[in-house]
Amino acid sequence: MRINCPHCGLRSNDEFSYLGDASVVRPDPAAPNATEAFYAFGYERANIAGPMQELWYHAAGCHAWLVVTRDTRNHEILDVKSAQEVALERQKAAGTAQ
Amino acid sequence: MSELANHTKTARASDLIERNDVTVTNIAARRGARASLDELARATFGVSLPSTPKAVEAGGTLIVWAGPDQWLIIQKEETGRDHYSELAKTFNGLASVIDVTESRTIFRISQARPSPVLSRSMGIDFHDAAFKPGDVAITHVSHLGVIVWRLPDGTAYDFACARTYSRDFGDWLRKAKA
Ligand SMILES: [Zn+2]
Repeated sequence: MRINCPHCGLRSNDEFSYLGDASVVRPDPAAPNATEAFYAFGYERANIAGPMQELWYHAAGCHAWLVVTRDTRNHEILDVKSAQEVALERQKAAGTAQ
Repeated sequence: MSELANHTKTARASDLIERNDVTVTNIAARRGARASLDELARATFGVSLPSTPKAVEAGGTLIVWAGPDQWLIIQKEETGRDHYSELAKTFNGLASVIDVTESRTIFRISQARPSPVLSRSMGIDFHDAAFKPGDVAITHVSHLGVIVWRLPDGTAYDFACARTYSRDFGDWLRKAKA
């Protein structure tokens, strides 16, 4: 499997390390349901058969975090974005300036 | 002086040398300061900081892309000059500036074209058409992290690795370049 790093180009997956589901977002610790929200954030994961967004780290390359959309059934990589870009898009969508 | 540095005294032109005559400074743009840093870099060096894996030459200074918003500034040592302090002063506030001269070892293989062993031994495509003069790659060789670049004039390949691993890596290069 090769991942097309937006900074470095196509690289072998042995240059990357895997963190997991990229769709989870850290909940607000001040929210009234914070305990339940953090439980879900820490432990609850969908076991997706198909395309899912995952966090990968280009550890042996440019040291950038990436959001990779990978089909878990056949390892086809459908999209790769820098995690910073994805985070900024999410902040924009949520209307928060952090 | 290292074992390899002694070796360089008798080296042929195409041989492997360890570059002991340069200072290496890492600069990383502070958040949101990328554009103003580049403006200042253009005023200082006369060229833009590369935003893709490239190395650019600017009046004896080599600027090497070292990841998103990070660069290695490689300058020949000059008596009476402190390159690091000059850069730290120039880019103060816009970038973090770190002297990495003592933590990096840079090897140079003066070859216009990569040897077949070198081409085959790293995960990146070293073919002449794929890795052109001025191209940079951050990758690994047998689990050792390296930044490799081809000089903009196409005369040599440089490899920067953590100094701790330089003996190991130098040994590997000596075998691979043959
Ligand atoms: Zn990368």
